[in-house]
Amino acid sequence: MYKILEKKEIAMRNVWYKIQAPHVAGKVKPGQFVIVRAFSNGERIPLTPVMWDAEEGWIVLITFIRGKTTMKMAAELKEGDYILNVAGPLGNPAEMKKFGKILAIGAYTGIVETFPIAKAWHEIGNYVTTLHVTFEPMVVLKEELERAVDSHIVETVPIDPNLDFPTNMKNVTKRLTETVREMLEKEDYDLVFMVGPAGDQRAVFNVVKEFGIPMKADLHPIMVDGTGMCGSCRVTVGGEVKFACIDGPEFDAYQVDWDVLIARSGYYTDMEQRAMQEYMKAIQGGGE
Amino acid sequence: MVRKRRIIKERVPTPERPAEERIHDFKEVNLGYTFGLAVKEAERCLQCPYNYAPCIKGCPVHIDIPGFISKLVQYRDDPDKAVKEALNVIWACNSLPATTGRVCPQEDQCEMNCVMGKVGDKINIGKLERFVADYAREKGIDEELLFEIIPKIEKTGQRVAIIGAGPAGLTAAGELAKLGYDVTIYEALHEPGGVLMYGIPEFRLPKSIVEKEIDKLRKLGVKILTDHIVGKTVTMDELLQNYDAVFIGSGAGTPRLINAPGINLNGIYTANEFLTRVNLMKAYLFPEYDTPVKVGKKVIVIGAGNTGMDAARSARRFGAEVTIAYRRGEEDVSARIEEVEHAKEEGIKFAYFLNPVEFIGDENGKVKAVKFEKMKALDERDSRGKRKIVGTGEYVTLEAETVIIAIGKHPNRLIINTPGLEVDKRGKIIVDENLMTSIPGVFAGGDAIRGEATVILAMGDGRRAAKAIHEYLTKKREGQKANA
Ligand SMILES: Cc1cc2nc3c(=O)[nH]c(=O)nc-3n(C[C@H](O)[C@H](O)[C@H](O)COP(=O)(O)OP(=O)(O)OC[C@H]3O[C@@H](n4cnc5c(N)ncnc54)[C@H](O)[C@@H]3O)c2cc1C
Ligand SMILES: Cc1cc2nc3c(=O)[nH]c(=O)nc-3n(C[C@H](O)[C@H](O)[C@H](O)COP(=O)(O)OP(=O)(O)OC[C@H]3O[C@@H](n4cnc5c(N)ncnc54)[C@H](O)[C@@H]3O)c2cc1C
Ligand code: SF4
Ligand code: FES
Repeated sequence: MYKILEKKEIAMRNVWYKIQAPHVAGKVKPGQFVIVRAFSNGERIPLTPVMWDAEEGWIVLITFIRGKTTMKMAAELKEGDYILNVAGPLGNPAEMKKFGKILAIGAYTGIVETFPIAKAWHEIGNYVTTLHVTFEPMVVLKEELERAVDSHIVETVPIDPNLDFPTNMKNVTKRLTETVREMLEKEDYDLVFMVGPAGDQRAVFNVVKEFGIPMKADLHPIMVDGTGMCGSCRVTVGGEVKFACIDGPEFDAYQVDWDVLIARSGYYTDMEQRAMQEYMKAIQGGGE
Repeated sequence: MVRKRRIIKERVPTPERPAEERIHDFKEVNLGYTFGLAVKEAERCLQCPYNYAPCIKGCPVHIDIPGFISKLVQYRDDPDKAVKEALNVIWACNSLPATTGRVCPQEDQCEMNCVMGKVGDKINIGKLERFVADYAREKGIDEELLFEIIPKIEKTGQRVAIIGAGPAGLTAAGELAKLGYDVTIYEALHEPGGVLMYGIPEFRLPKSIVEKEIDKLRKLGVKILTDHIVGKTVTMDELLQNYDAVFIGSGAGTPRLINAPGINLNGIYTANEFLTRVNLMKAYLFPEYDTPVKVGKKVIVIGAGNTGMDAARSARRFGAEVTIAYRRGEEDVSARIEEVEHAKEEGIKFAYFLNPVEFIGDENGKVKAVKFEKMKALDERDSRGKRKIVGTGEYVTLEAETVIIAIGKHPNRLIINTPGLEVDKRGKIIVDENLMTSIPGVFAGGDAIRGEATVILAMGDGRRAAKAIHEYLTKKREGQKANA
């Protein structure tokens, strides 16, 4: 059981949890993640420590309210409550070396995962530019990134209330790819890194590829245990089957089979929607 | 001396729920003996002398089988006493009888050798063992016995770390705690139990039984740290600094995949993923439980071991039409006989001599069929005594909306990457005759050293390792005293 020391909504649908988890705080490195199980009938979901303090024993997780679990966490967990399970750190740390000039991208809440890696790259002497593309009310970690890296760029897209969410998201993808193209045309980068929805990762990769710049991507297939035991997180990289939880989550974007990743990430969409709808009905109808 | 008595040839049957009923739920299939029925079955035992009894020789941990069976008959007028005495006999060799009574392949072990087989049915040793454990648990007799042991434990002041809370780790922990060691288990998942929790389904081994076993360990003072992954949360070096000895019981958790095109299509599960979703995460109770699982109308399970049976029978309980495809013939099916029978009763089809070569997907990246090569068996046998098989060059394609791969597992990767830890080419940890690994003070057992084996072998290793660790630490203690 891990105590929630602090909880706040830092932007629309973005929730910050500071959690007492000394076993993770003492060990985690940028690029690693944890698996959280928040409720006794809940699922295990991967989340990323964004900040941590080994001495004080806490980590910060930031969730984007996406489906039932992240929504229920936001709705029901309060400061002082406990999270049942926080397992980790899991996965491999990001490669820490001098690449030179790096463009580190985060789409939507993906920026919170880019944050610790970009910060560490900067600290060891890379010239790091971070790019955050998201909807206007969803900007997070702006000041923190401005302090942590050489240059932080935020590109926002308004939410058009007349359009549905998927159509709005297409506008983000468009802005993302256009901005990346402009940046790569203007300046030479030695490495591009990105966290975000797989579809956006692929869209960005297709731009980066034209410039022939190395690119790494943190992949987010669906995970269960996070310890290499189930194979739910398998991805096709370089024609081989890899387990993202123990072989990744960072991979060479040039080797990733994006079709497989995108198809696998969406496999449960219908059931996730049902879970979410039933949960919303329950909290709206039932009250207490 | 064998007493003269009337021989009763037929086994006293244990009640089972009918197949049509049980395929709609995950409740236990076999209901087990009552005391009356258990005594009747116990009376059939010929009470072979201890030194001869072939059942004892067939048992990997050498339980005094006629010994515990005789208690049921001897104290038949006092069921509680009968069970307590019988449990005491079993506990001398086996601390998880409710589990092993349910999942051991008795037909290849104790029951295989039973002399009653020469004149009639073999004694139903497994179900008797299970009865003793179940009755004891329901009546609190196991705790009574435990509370008699606890005050006698003399603390040694030494600390032992256990990696993995499967049957190997749990047994080692229990034995070491009884020997006075301060024991901490590091478990990666959120629930202790290993395969007993995440792999073997509720209808074969109710999770409440495993939970109760773990409760007992806690009463013995064993600490369990879930969410702790050795190699990530804590390293072997750190364990060696903080503990006097370490036992690795990390199992064989890495699923083997089939190297064939289409393996990453949606709808293809490893048995581990499928069973973890269903058992550990209770996906059969979705949406009351949050974890989803998808079981199509037509399911193909590849592999015919215990894992394959469990996957097939679980899928059946979602209403699917299930076929088990196996590349060898019926004679080589390695699952427990009872599970194969139950699977057949539940309407699961078996297709032999089929080896998958390709998974065929639809336009959305979802599996829709499996292409198999037809195999045939040769007379020649391999090192395990199975007939060799070869491809025929003929192919057949079977439709499937869900495919479950149950062709085996390798040792867990996070552990075998420990610096200085020697493993063989299949990743099995190498140990000496005392189960000590290449790192002094680090012992190992169970599937981590054997590859995929059985619960009882894992448990037996846990016990042997506990003994070896006790010897090792006794020497260490005495050495420290001598130096002081
Ligand atoms: C290594 C890694 C790190 C991550 N870090 C963060 C983070 O720091 N902050 C954050 O907000 N999100 C992060 N995610 C994504 C996060 O796990 C999902 O948003 C979360 O599981 C959604 O759960 P839900 O019930 O709210 O939504 P659901 O409705 O259940 O799912 C919505 C979508 O989320 C994805 N998803 C669902 N379950 C899982 C799962 N078990 N594993 C992976 N993806 C899943 C699927 O694509 C799904 O379609 C990370 C994912 C990975 C793999
Ligand atoms: C579906 C299925 C059905 C089976 N049916 C039967 C049966 O009917 N009869 C039978 O006798 N056998 C059966 N078996 C085999 C039997 O379950 C195993 O042989 C036995 O569980 C091995 O025990 P173990 O303690 O060595 O490992 P496991 O039970 O695998 O436990 C290992 C534990 O270690 C943990 N772990 C791994 N790595 C780490 C790490 N780095 N840090 C911390 N913890 C870690 C794991 O999470 C796990 O909890 C079955 C197996 C499966 C999968
Ligand atoms: S071999 Fe059979 S008859 Fe003999 S003691 Fe064992 S169980 Fe009884
Ligand atoms: S999440 Fe289970 S193997 Fe990676």
